[in-house]
Amino acid sequence: MQKLRTALIIGATSAAITFLFGGWSAVVVGVIAGAVIGMTYGQRSALRTPNGIGREAVVPGLVGGLVVVLGGVIHQFIVRPATGQSPFFTHTLRFFGSNAQIDSITVLIISSVVAILAAAAAAFLIGSAQGLPPDKRNRQIAFALGGFLLLFPFYEQITNLNWMGALITVQIYILLALGLNIVVGYAGLLDLGYAAFFAIGAYTTALLNSPRIEIQWNFWLVIWIAAAVAAIAGIVLGAPTLPLRGDYLAIVTLGFGEIVPVIFRNLIAVTIREPFTRFCFVGCDPAVEVRIACLYSCEGPLNLTGGEAGVNPIGRPVIPFTPDSLFGSSSYLPWYFLVLALIVFSIFLISRLRDSRIGRAWMAMREDELAASQMGIDPVKTKLLAFSMGATFSGFAGAFYGAYIAAIFPGVFDFSVSVIILCMVILGGLGNMIGVIIGGILIMGTDRLFLPQIATLLKKFMQVSVLPNVSNEALRDFLSTSVDPIQMRLALFGIVLVIMMLVRPEGLVPSAERRAELHAGEEPRGAPVTADEPTT
Amino acid sequence: MLELKDVHTYYGNIHALKGISLKVEKGEIVTLIGSNGAGKTTTLRTIQGLLRPRSGSIVLEGEELTKIPPHLITERGVSQSPEGRLIFPRMTVLENLEMGAFSRKDKDGIKRDLERVCIVFPRLKERVKQKGGTLSGGEQQMLAMGRALMANPRVLLLDEPSMGLAPILVEQIFQIIQELNKQGTTILLVEQNARMALSIAHRGYVLQTGHIRLQGDAKRLHDDEEVRKTYLGEE
Ligand SMILES: Nc1ncnc2c1ncn2[C@@H]1O[C@H](COP(=O)(O)OP(=O)(O)OP(=O)(O)O)[C@@H](O)[C@H]1O
Ligand SMILES: [Mg+2]
Repeated sequence: MQKLRTALIIGATSAAITFLFGGWSAVVVGVIAGAVIGMTYGQRSALRTPNGIGREAVVPGLVGGLVVVLGGVIHQFIVRPATGQSPFFTHTLRFFGSNAQIDSITVLIISSVVAILAAAAAAFLIGSAQGLPPDKRNRQIAFALGGFLLLFPFYEQITNLNWMGALITVQIYILLALGLNIVVGYAGLLDLGYAAFFAIGAYTTALLNSPRIEIQWNFWLVIWIAAAVAAIAGIVLGAPTLPLRGDYLAIVTLGFGEIVPVIFRNLIAVTIREPFTRFCFVGCDPAVEVRIACLYSCEGPLNLTGGEAGVNPIGRPVIPFTPDSLFGSSSYLPWYFLVLALIVFSIFLISRLRDSRIGRAWMAMREDELAASQMGIDPVKTKLLAFSMGATFSGFAGAFYGAYIAAIFPGVFDFSVSVIILCMVILGGLGNMIGVIIGGILIMGTDRLFLPQIATLLKKFMQVSVLPNVSNEALRDFLSTSVDPIQMRLALFGIVLVIMMLVRPEGLVPSAERRAELHAGEEPRGAPVTADEPTT
Repeated sequence: MLELKDVHTYYGNIHALKGISLKVEKGEIVTLIGSNGAGKTTTLRTIQGLLRPRSGSIVLEGEELTKIPPHLITERGVSQSPEGRLIFPRMTVLENLEMGAFSRKDKDGIKRDLERVCIVFPRLKERVKQKGGTLSGGEQQMLAMGRALMANPRVLLLDEPSMGLAPILVEQIFQIIQELNKQGTTILLVEQNARMALSIAHRGYVLQTGHIRLQGDAKRLHDDEEVRKTYLGEE
């Protein structure tokens, strides 16, 4: 029992998801829980052979899977009735066009059995990987992860889980967090206005690819412009902050983050003057020229950004020889894979950057600015490059976000967005990309997927099981309007963050340096130094 | 090789260097002594370009340094083991040493110098994977010196290398400095420990509130009445 404690804890934590979603979610959750269990038990194992370690992890995996499945059973037979839904209903399976009906008890049985087996298999696979030499281990884990990321969206589509829409937003936020990690994690510059670049990227895309002001350039061109504009904005912000450090820098970036949405909110009466309308690149498209001319001759000043209402619609990407609807509003798969590819590419790029000269310069600057300049590092160039690299990723993410949502307004880019991205970076482990990604999945997954589901269930639960039994009218009013976790999301978030900082200040998956630093007193001096951040 | 002519450096309104002129010839150890706040660290920072002199000139082998951006001065062959060591605490010893060679591109030369540093400081070699911040004070001092050497400097600036070290280590550090000098490194040594500094240096300068008060042969300074009283603590 003692040995299975960890498996029970991991299983129970994961079961929170099956508890909320029930049904088909069990398989996905089972795989993830199994993998985490395999990782934990594998690292602890005293055995040497991969197979031995893997086999040792199977039983904990099965137990974890069982707990996960239990969450699904509770969902079906307790949560559903309590929220006024029958446990007996029919699921729809979608096989790309054709649908099939299947009743809920069959779904529960199938998904439970598969979930338990999948958990055990994942535990074996990831557990056995722990017994391999590092490069082989990383390859095995990468293959397993890749397989999961590849298969998951199809599973999700077929079983109608309805997670994809939220997950793509999560992905885009991960992209943002990876960019911020350059600025805060590598270069050590605390940036509280990071959402500004996100906004700049999104608005650049919006304005260059929207019927709103009749400029509709190709998406694949516009994203680069958006990234470039954001990069320049990064330099513009970076330049005045160069002599600033720590808290002063944070305040200036905070100001920048506040100003940018305000600017977009207020660009609603722009007059474009004569010289601009004449300006034209060499060999520019006459059609574009005509449109700009139209802009000018339009009656009255131009409402550029649409103010509070924002820009809507925004053009979507189109790939030649494929249907235009490929990246349509409900076609999640192409978006998922597009952004996934982008994340993988970014990880590759950033890890190259980290290990390059400029990466070392960032880290030296973070450690000690004076010493760094004595080494011959140019602090101006180094800092500006960090800001503009971070901004580039943010601008890129903004461009994709705008095109994905197909509508943006200034409210999406307020201060809380900067804070959430910063939290993703810190929660996961400052300076460690894997940590940042896990932090991002946890925070944004909670924010976009679980909280809304909790809110829906809670609302139904109130209506069905609580409110009819409350006779006091004032109390009933209060309960029906105020019990809403979405409204409390920032408060919940703050609580989690406080707990996290007290319990595990170095983040979930810290980089080796930070772990050593924050737990310096607990380790004997000169202890063998732990391995560096794994290269991805 | 390195010559300062009438250098004036300010911190805002504070006139820290009031016309410093000094010379370091190739192959020499020149020491700069003086009481706290005399301007020794300021002099070294000014040479490295971290502070800009308001007037005066600093010439390294015929090239005016005051016109070159600081990060290029390292490349010209001036490197420093700074006061308070300023090593990178979260980087390993090896990474710290590699940072020292940041402005160099000759991979073979860097490798050779790394081996040399490992021979000069065997303590560092044993600890290449340890984080700089977890080294002992003396080891950090060695790391700071090793890091400065990794730049393969023409002039090595040492700012109080004996600060905070046990007497045995102080002796060891001074031996190393002498050894480095014998191997051909030109050294400008700032020290509180005037006795030791004067005993290994060829020439010396005594700095007092931003002025050069005395200068000359190290032996002569060592025997000078005033120096004995003020800086060597003898009656
Ligand atoms: N950043 C600064 N701002 C203002 N004044 C400074 C600054 N740094 C040094 N000073 C002043 O300049 C003068 C020279 O300082 P410096 O650090 O060069 O002294 P030092 O000779 O190295 O002394 P020590 O032996 O104590 O290291 C001192 O009076 C000091 O107070
Ligand atoms: Mg000093």
